[in-house]
Amino acid sequence: MDYGKEQVEELKNYCRKLSTVTEGGVTYLYLEGLRLPPGCQPPECDALLCPEPKDGYPSRLYFSRQIQSPYTRNWNVSNARIVERNWFAFSWRVQLANPTLPQLLIAHLNGFAKER
Amino acid sequence: MSNEAISEPEIDIREMAESGREVPDAQLYRVRIDGRVVRVDTAHPTGEILLSKIDKRPCAFELIAEFVHCDNDVIEPEEIVDLRQRGLKGFITAHKEIVTIFINKDPYKIERGDHTVAQILAKVGQNPDAYVLLEEKGGPPMPVPPNQRIEICGCEIFYSQPHSGGSSS
Repeated sequence: MDYGKEQVEELKNYCRKLSTVTEGGVTYLYLEGLRLPPGCQPPECDALLCPEPKDGYPSRLYFSRQIQSPYTRNWNVSNARIVERNWFAFSWRVQLANPTLPQLLIAHLNGFAKER
Repeated sequence: MSNEAISEPEIDIREMAESGREVPDAQLYRVRIDGRVVRVDTAHPTGEILLSKIDKRPCAFELIAEFVHCDNDVIEPEEIVDLRQRGLKGFITAHKEIVTIFINKDPYKIERGDHTVAQILAKVGQNPDAYVLLEEKGGPPMPVPPNQRIEICGCEIFYSQPHSGGSSS
């Protein structure tokens, strides 16, 4: 899938390294060293952004570990095996019509910064 | 033969002020700001340009001109300074109490110190129930949890956007 150079460049600001990986017909954006919002522990971790519907969600953001955040989250995915690695995700539904990749990523990161 | 005045290559304005001499036209003016010596290539810089010489900005700092006769003048950012004026020996800066922050690219005045997310969003008529506050701090804009306090020193950059997600269970 082609996301456009501008979107990809903007997304790169959020992580140390950005690449794409495909598994089971789904293309993920692999964000190595993704920066997390203030108050999160650790302050960064690897993440997989799935910009297409998955597990009943319109999009998903997987983390390489569970994150301690200012608000308790419902981590409903633990040790999901994707591209030969275990991933974690909390229940967070992003409602945005045709978001750009950075908008989608921020909307998922907002999950750490919103009470409900 | 040209009869144009030949300017000095470089002049130290403090030396001139302390010796009571007039500052001649020069290609470069050696100026002290907070004790640091900087070089300015015009006799008429703005306050903002002088602040930028020591990596400071008017959204957080004010510039104060010091004269040999002990008077001080606050220089506004857009004010043009005459580096050749008699008695001007240099500048100092002071951290403002009321600083400027930027929300969605617009400037807003706010008191320096700790603030809540709600106080910052209120500047643009928004609240944390409906909007998320993002801060650009040494990287891309990141959401700030409403229960985190934000230390305002001046020049902070924020964005706000409507909430676009929620827990589905």
